[in-house]
Amino acid sequence: MPPSRFPIPQGTLDMLVLQILSVGPAHGYAVAQRLEQISRAVVQVNQGSLYPALHRLEQKGWLRAEWKASETGRDAKIYSLTRAGRRQLAVEKDSWARLAHAVRLIFNEGGQP
Amino acid sequence: MKLLNWFRRDRLEHGLDGELQYHLDRRIGDLMEEGLPESEARRRARLEIGGLEQVREEVRDVWLTRWLRDFLYDLRFSARSFLRSPSFTAATVLSLGIGIGATTAIYSLVDQVILHALPVRDPERLVLMDWKGEPVATGFGSWNLMSYPICRDLQRHDQVFDGVLCRASTTVTLSTDGAPEPTAAEIVSGTYFNVLGVGAVLGRVLGPNDDQPPAESAAVVLAYDFWRTRLAGDPAIVGRKVLVNQFPMTVVGVAAPTFRGIDVGEVPALWMPASMSAHALPGFTNLLDRRTRWMQVLGRLKQDVTPAQAQAALQPWFKAMLVEDMGLPGFPRITAQRRQLFLASRLELTAAPQGHSSLRRRLSQPLWVLFAATAVLLGLACLNVAGLFLARGSARDREIRTRLALGASRGRIGRQLLADSVLVALAGGLCGVALAPLAMGALIAFLPRDTAATALHSNVDVRLLAFAFLVAVAAGLLSGLAPALQAGRRSLASSLRERTGSGGGVRLRKVIVAAQIALSLVLVIGAVLFARTLTVLLAKGPGFDTTSLISFGIEPRRSGYAPLAASRLVFRIHDQVRAAPTTSASAVARYPLLTGGSWNNQMTIQTDRRIATDREANLNAVTPGFFSTLGTRIVAGRDFDERDTHAGAGQAGPRTAIVNEAFVSRYFAGRNPLGALICVGSGPDAQPNIEVVGVVATFSYRGLREESEQAFFPMLDGGEGVDVGGAFYVKVRGTPEEAAQSIRSIVHDADPALPITYFRTVNEQVSRSLNTERILATLSGGFGALALLLSLVGLSGVMSFVVSQRTREIGIRIALGARGSSAVWLVLRDAVAMIAAGTAVALPCVWAFGRLVESQLFGVTPTDPATIAATTLVLTAVALGAALVPAYGASTVNPVDALRAE
Repeated sequence: MPPSRFPIPQGTLDMLVLQILSVGPAHGYAVAQRLEQISRAVVQVNQGSLYPALHRLEQKGWLRAEWKASETGRDAKIYSLTRAGRRQLAVEKDSWARLAHAVRLIFNEGGQP
Repeated sequence: MKLLNWFRRDRLEHGLDGELQYHLDRRIGDLMEEGLPESEARRRARLEIGGLEQVREEVRDVWLTRWLRDFLYDLRFSARSFLRSPSFTAATVLSLGIGIGATTAIYSLVDQVILHALPVRDPERLVLMDWKGEPVATGFGSWNLMSYPICRDLQRHDQVFDGVLCRASTTVTLSTDGAPEPTAAEIVSGTYFNVLGVGAVLGRVLGPNDDQPPAESAAVVLAYDFWRTRLAGDPAIVGRKVLVNQFPMTVVGVAAPTFRGIDVGEVPALWMPASMSAHALPGFTNLLDRRTRWMQVLGRLKQDVTPAQAQAALQPWFKAMLVEDMGLPGFPRITAQRRQLFLASRLELTAAPQGHSSLRRRLSQPLWVLFAATAVLLGLACLNVAGLFLARGSARDREIRTRLALGASRGRIGRQLLADSVLVALAGGLCGVALAPLAMGALIAFLPRDTAATALHSNVDVRLLAFAFLVAVAAGLLSGLAPALQAGRRSLASSLRERTGSGGGVRLRKVIVAAQIALSLVLVIGAVLFARTLTVLLAKGPGFDTTSLISFGIEPRRSGYAPLAASRLVFRIHDQVRAAPTTSASAVARYPLLTGGSWNNQMTIQTDRRIATDREANLNAVTPGFFSTLGTRIVAGRDFDERDTHAGAGQAGPRTAIVNEAFVSRYFAGRNPLGALICVGSGPDAQPNIEVVGVVATFSYRGLREESEQAFFPMLDGGEGVDVGGAFYVKVRGTPEEAAQSIRSIVHDADPALPITYFRTVNEQVSRSLNTERILATLSGGFGALALLLSLVGLSGVMSFVVSQRTREIGIRIALGARGSSAVWLVLRDAVAMIAAGTAVALPCVWAFGRLVESQLFGVTPTDPATIAATTLVLTAVALGAALVPAYGASTVNPVDALRAE
């Protein structure tokens, strides 16, 4: 029986972060919590790799960040998706879908002798 | 852009701290709400995030790639440590600055004169045509000469060429508004601008229509610089008339700003069509003559045609043309042997993206020699810096050992040392770029002002900056390599065991000093060879007395005079100058001396048998008294006099001639030359009818280096004797300035519109003719001195270090009764070994370099034993002197102090 939680595939963390932020702007901790919810169910995400990912995406111009008052009233760094980030998310979703489709095709073929 | 993050890293760090703190605080809060005690919540939160410092490092890697970040930290560390030792920094930066500055300056000239492609469309497709073999033609001009009709022939070969142009450079007397002035000009075919792809900034350029003699007025195109500086960029210039040699021509346009002709050494002020050559070159009627060669022919190859292919494709036509030419009326009668050589001629095409230049031909070898010398100098500077770094390396030994012990990798420390040297080299490069324009200006000042001022510049452009940057990085890597490797090689255990410094470091420094001595010996020997060449030439002189001798030129044919009138004018001025109270003697020659050029031709000599000279003799026409004015001896026969200068009734040309001693010894073999008959030309139809009436001592004509066969004819009063003008040689009483004033007023009175083309003392002319030699001697001397200085600094540095290392040993020796002199010898032995090794390496290099400079030398061979022996001795003595100071210090060591020092 496969483990219920498997490590997140290489490179998909960026996509997940983009997806989470596509719903609306959020600070790092909120993203972490959302990731935590996902990971409890399916995948295992190392909290430590979240911040490098956020900074990497910001560096690439897919995220924009500013310091704003958070829901607790304290200032937090709030990330939001840029137009380029939205495009990138679409691209990644699309290629992911195609990959998944391709893999499914291969498995189906293998299943029918 | 990522690099920018380096400069705002403080803000980034601060932001990251805040962000992480927020995350932790929120997490702790949430965990405590779930019921965990605070300390446990804190622990859990930190655990989840997986090490704060690690997260920070990972984020930093996102900001700036790690190696770059490390390198920037290294640079910052280097910069700080350099600021702490300013004298060390100044020494290294200055060493490299001098090396890089000198290299950049010479490279700038190499680039301008030799390498730079013409600023025209696709210069790499340009080829220069040359006639290899016997052209059976008369010619004037410098190199690669062809006739105008051949250019027209080649223009029909459109299977290989997109176009063919021809051009010749000349000097015209130009009047725009003010006084007429001698001005550089280029005579070109109508295809010239089109083939080069150069347009006009104003009006139009010359076109094929200008090849036809115009019905109305001849067209000329002005150079942009001339238009801007001399005509104040007058926008209404197009359509205006200018006087070229007193002949009116119309300005039709101004050429593109970047275009300065195809010869870097002769920048024309205007271009005029070849169809106007009779006015550009007064008296010239041979434009359509196939046997007069005076122009350079360049072609633009079709796309994808190589010069070799084009050359092969043109040979059948060329061979057929040779045969056809021989059948044409007017082809000279020549011997069978010469005919064979003529028919064996071939056309050669060479790629000419840099155009054609006689300056390049003259300067390229000296420039390459100087470039090699600066490369050696730069190498020396690098070695010096490497030596200094090694010295500092041993001083920093403690720091490096500590870092190694704390776990720094050897690569990391080696890289740190490389960062040191790259930083020094870049600072040196900046220093060099600042020095280079000064050096270039000084260099250009060596060249004759008329060439240099217009043709060469001392600006630092992008190409030069790129060159300096590359040289600096290379120099940095080169000088940092040895110390970096040294640091990499050192093993931790051994370096902890050693007490001070390391043996390997000293050995390496000794090798470096030996190499420095070798390089400086090569440079100094080169400098001595060039200095001796210059001294020999100066001592030899031109073979005549130059004291109080001045020279000036006039060219009446370029001011609209007909031949006869020009001749009369020259003689009239000559008579007045001779009669002036400020002068004691005066004479005129058709061609000036010591300018590098001459009238030359083969001769036929008739004694009891008839011979043709086997090479061209240098010819001139002179007035009576020319030889006595120059103070040369008539060794046999007589000088010209009134009988010779009057045009004879039966014979158009001169009837008498004087030859020089070199001519006699080559062609008369002990027989009496007086009374022999000679003439210009060597064909079967040459008629020797000019009687040799005198023999004159040999003196320099073209330049100081040559002692050629010369023949002189009398300048005919009222004959066809004057081509374009006369070169006056005047012995003055008092100062040249006083005489100059009276001479100028004589010329001005004779014709106010007649410009004096040049006016200088003959001594000045002699020194101008030695320009190249002087540049080589002065610069190589300077480089040699710098090299010597650098290596002496290196040597004495190593010696003092050795002494400081061995103080204890020397102290013990002295305590045990050794004498001071033996302590000196102990230290000096090292220096002797380094000097001997350097010399042993240098001598074969001198031999190899000798071949490169051989053609630049005079009166001394490149492997002259006396020069090499003397230089080596002096260098050895000076080097030993430099080593003696620290060695003497060793002998005065107080044994008690030395032993207590540990």
